[in-house]
This record gives sequence, C-alpha cells and structure tokens, in this order.
Amino acid sequence: MLYALMGLGLALITGILNIPNFAHGALFAVGAYFLVSVVSALGNFWLGLLLAPIGIALLGLLIEYLGVRRLYAAGHDYQLLFTFGLALILNELIIVIWGPVGISHLPPAILRGGVDLGFTFYPKYRLFVMLMAGLLVVATWLFLEKTRYGAIMRAGIENKEMVSLLGIDIHWLFTAAFALGAYLAGIAGALTAPIRGLSPGMGVDMLGIAVVVVALGGLGNLLGAIAAGLLIGVAQAVVAAYWTEASTVVIFAVMAAVLVVRPQGLFGIR
Amino acid sequence: MSQSKRRELLKAGAAIGAASLGFPAIVRAQAKEIVILGLWDQTGAYADVGPLNDRGMRMALEERGMKILGKPIKYITRDGATQAGVSTRRAEEAIDEGARFMIGPWSSGVALAVSEVAKRRKVLHLFSGGTEDISGSRCHRYSFQWAASPYTAAKTVVDNFMKANPKAKRWQLLIADYAFGWSLEKYIKEVGKDHGLEFVGADRHPLGEREFSNYVQKAAANRPDAVAMVNFGADAVGAAREFFNFGLTPKVPLIMAWSSGVEELIQLSPEIRENLWVGTNFYYTADTPVAKAFVRSYQAKYQLPPGYAPSSAYSMTRMLLAGFDKAKSDDTQAVIKALETLEVNDLLGRMRVDPATHQTLRPYFFLKCKAKGAMKHELDLADIVATGDTPLPKQYAACKDIGGF
Repeated sequence: MLYALMGLGLALITGILNIPNFAHGALFAVGAYFLVSVVSALGNFWLGLLLAPIGIALLGLLIEYLGVRRLYAAGHDYQLLFTFGLALILNELIIVIWGPVGISHLPPAILRGGVDLGFTFYPKYRLFVMLMAGLLVVATWLFLEKTRYGAIMRAGIENKEMVSLLGIDIHWLFTAAFALGAYLAGIAGALTAPIRGLSPGMGVDMLGIAVVVVALGGLGNLLGAIAAGLLIGVAQAVVAAYWTEASTVVIFAVMAAVLVVRPQGLFGIR
Repeated sequence: MSQSKRRELLKAGAAIGAASLGFPAIVRAQAKEIVILGLWDQTGAYADVGPLNDRGMRMALEERGMKILGKPIKYITRDGATQAGVSTRRAEEAIDEGARFMIGPWSSGVALAVSEVAKRRKVLHLFSGGTEDISGSRCHRYSFQWAASPYTAAKTVVDNFMKANPKAKRWQLLIADYAFGWSLEKYIKEVGKDHGLEFVGADRHPLGEREFSNYVQKAAANRPDAVAMVNFGADAVGAAREFFNFGLTPKVPLIMAWSSGVEELIQLSPEIRENLWVGTNFYYTADTPVAKAFVRSYQAKYQLPPGYAPSSAYSMTRMLLAGFDKAKSDDTQAVIKALETLEVNDLLGRMRVDPATHQTLRPYFFLKCKAKGAMKHELDLADIVATGDTPLPKQYAACKDIGGF
C-alpha cells in the first residue's frame, strides 16, 4: 500500500513535469523526520501525522516555485540534475539537523502490539498504515477522477499545450501537482517512521521502489501506478512467505519481466 | 661557467633530484620515527565508524605522548572506503611510505584482503573484525585478531542466557547471510546441544535487508521461547524494531549475539530494549581500571560513552604499544614475538594471545538491557550480566600451522 502511495506521488510529478523527481525519496525521508520533530514538540502523534505532510507539501511548493520552474527554459536535463542535487542536499540536511545516527519512533500507544488474525500474528500499526494508505490512494484517485482540478491535472499530463491553450495557467498546475506529489511522499514517510525507524539514507531505498512502481505502471498513467504499487507489494509478501531472501529482489524481477514483454509498462500510454 | 660545465652541473642536479624523487623510501628511512597506519574508513558502508576508530587509536597514542621506546610515533590514517581494492592499495602506499604496523580495517571481509598485504609485505597487522579465517584457515605470522572468537561469543551468550532463562529451550535464529553469520550460527548450535536446545527455525537474511516483517512473521509462527540474532548495525536495529512491532518482544526474549553495544542500542528506544540480551566485545561499564579511565576521558571529550568501534581501536593500539614495551625494540619480528607471549590486564580484563593462531584470548561481555523504569540516566542502557572467555576448542581450530616470518 505504501508502495502505491509513493508510486502515485512520483507518477504525478513525473507525468506533469516530464522528469523523474530524484528528490522524491528525500521528501519521503524528510516527511518521516518532520513527524518526529512535530511529535516531540506537540506530544501528539495524530497532530504530527496531520501537520508533517503539509510541511512537506509546502516544501514541495517551494522547490517547484524557486527551483524547478526557473529551469523550464533550460530544459529537462537541468531539471533532472536539480532534483538529483536536491536529493543529496536534503540528505545531508537531515544529517545536519537530526544527526547521522538512526532513530526509533514508536507508534502511538493504542496502535502498539499485535493482533491475532488466526492464521498469523500481525502488528496493529501496520494494519493502520494499510488502511490509511488505502484511504489516501482512494481519496487521491477520487480527486483526480471526479473533480475539475483533478481533470485539469490529468489533462496536463496528457497534453500541456492544449491545456494552456484552453486558458488554464499551467504554471499553477505544475506547482499544485508537485505539492500534491510531495504531500503523498511526506505522508508515506510519516506513516513509515514507526515501522522502519529513521535513518538519513531511508529515502534512497524508497526512491528505487517508487521508480519501479512508476515504470511498471506505465509512465503517465496514475491509475497504473496505483495498480503497480499494489502488485509489487503483494508479490513481495507472497514471495517472502516461501523464499524470504528473495523478497526484495522480486520487486525488481517483476519490473524487469513485465518491461521485457511490455516496454510501456502495464497500462502505459508512452 | 663554460657551456659544457653548466650542462654537467644541470645534469648532475637533475639526476640527484630525480633520484630523491624516485626513491622516497630511502630518503624517508633516514627518520627515526615509527610509522603506524590506521586503516579507517571515511567513505563507504562503514563511513560512520572510521572516525570513531580514529578517536580510540589517537587516544591510546596520545597517552604515550606520541612516543614509544624514545622514538616519535608517526600516526597516519588512510580511507579504505570499505572496499578490498581501495584498502589494499592504501595499505601498500602507506607501507611504501614507511609504515610497518597497521591496525584496521573495520570490515572483516576487507580485513582478509589487507591481511594478505600484511603477510606479503611483512607488516604487523591487528584488526577488530569477527571473521574466523584470519586466525583460522588463512592464519599467518603477521596478523592478530583482537575480537573474541565466535566460539567464545556463542559459549558466553548461550551459557549465561540459559542460566537466567533455564526453561527457554525452543530457539529461533535469524542470521545475516555471510561467512561470519554462518560461523556464529554453527557454534550457537554446537553449544546449544549441551543445553538440550531445540532450534525451531534458522532464517538467513541478506546484509542490508530493510524489510524484516516476513522473517518476524515466520519466527512468530514457530512459537519460540527465545529468538537469537546474528547480525550487525542497521540490520540488527531494524530486526529488533520489527520484533517489537509484531509484539514478540518483550514477551519473548531477544538475543543479539554479536553487537557493537552502545552504537546499536542507542538507535532503539527503551521499550524495544526491554528483554533484550546482548553479547558484545566491549561495554562501557566494564569493571577494569583501564576501562574506567578510558570511558572517563572519552566521555569528557565526546559526551557519549565509547562503543565497540573506538574501544577496539584503543585496545588494539594499547596491545601494540605493550608489544613494543615487551620487545624493547621496534623491529617488526621482535614485536610479533613479544605479542605472541603477551599477557596483560588491560581494557577488557585479562588478555593474552594464543601463539598458535594469533587469536586474542579475552573476555566476551554478555549484557541484559534495562527496562525504561530501571534506567538511571539516558545512557544507562544495560547491565553486564557475565563475561566468558572459553577459547575455541582445538578440534575446531582451522589454523594448522601459523608459519614463519
């Protein structure tokens, strides 16, 4: 479910801006660290979960407005390099602000411990994350499919020029898309913090998986990203039950297998 | 000056210049200093450990005022980048510059490669990794192993855990999938036989694994009385966290058989540490005069107490200096012979070297972590429950002949 969330955020940004957002993993990581800081300051996990991703969305807004937008004239390569450099900067900033040593952050007391599901024992917090991530994915999908703003975003992915000709300010569109993508990355990070703990390099692994999800789902297809994210997550869980050591490799193996047969991804349009 | 005389002079000058550039060893060998190399990683997988190692080594050398046997010590460090190729090259360069004694690197795998350089270039080499091979199948006269033998670790951990938890007979193992993990797994099972342990499962995970939920689920399904892990650093921290998240600990005790101590434990929260039992090569509450003094000075400088990384470097450097003292010479072979019969009461307690394998025989520490309520201060992470120093039995020793110089 988390993979679907990350993939969706990245697909949104990639689709609209036409460049892979290398800073997506870093936004995920900063989201997790923001959560820890907000919870330390306010003492409430739920407030942290609410506020931290908004902080990341604002960060995304700033990044787009101050950085990416200025580089449109320079071309895709420079925007790509910019996000790559940003990823490195954010990584080091995490070390500067929060230190290089890993941190553990426990889930809130009511979500601790496990639930006996009969066939297996499962942590309460993970069930919560599945639910939250699922709700977010559904909410984002509804926004994109059923609202006017969502329609504009999807149109922007398909054909920027046409949207602009129709009188819509595509610069605002880009900023909004980036902020939304960043929000999704931020909340994914905040949700993950109690499960995986925090360390400065946590964004790098997630970025890899997010890219796999986007490539598998097909560049430019948001629903495809969701489907791909779910597929990867399920594949990993199934393989883990029988051949635990291969559970991480299977993510990349599935992507490779599908792309060999269908280079445009499962639902890709380009 | 005539044309030809000037040319002669220039040619002679160029020849001398080229000679001194081309034979730096000769030029530098004039110095009476003793060059010691610390091969500490500043980049790569263990980049955070290198600076800690450097601290420990530097502290030990500065205690002697950077001098030994009346000669100045030149302490040089090189970044091995946690890669065998880079580390061996840096070691060779340092040896070209006059280093005859080297300590490090941190990674066992890379240390194996560096050990080959030590053998070929006849340079004394100490390292802190746990791999059995350097004091086992690849043993030679120039390398010395500071860390306890994995057998000693297994025996200390299993014996003392069973003393405290005699009914915990069903064990689940989680092992990092590389040579060191396999050797410790082997010894845990061996020692476990004497206690009548039943190993209900033994899973291996790749180094650098991030997603431990699957391993924990499998472990939970086996309903063990205790879970023992052989893994390190971020892997150990991640796995411990996952066991807690699934609600296995603190009901079921979790054992970290070979841990770096403080450095891993501070990454966990007190709730995760409850009912966590840790085996380690050094813990900062060790009750020896040398340890107390070291911890005091280290904390004064760096606030945190020292973990495995700086302590191992400190201890190895002290061993080397003790070797110089005993040999009363800085001739490499004399120091090696002195180390082979060394017996000191140092950082860890009673330490001596087995001349047949160059394995240091010394205590291994077994700790029980404290529950949140019992912690007197933020760094009061654990109590030392016991130490053990049973050496590797001869039938397991893979070093048949350590060879000559």
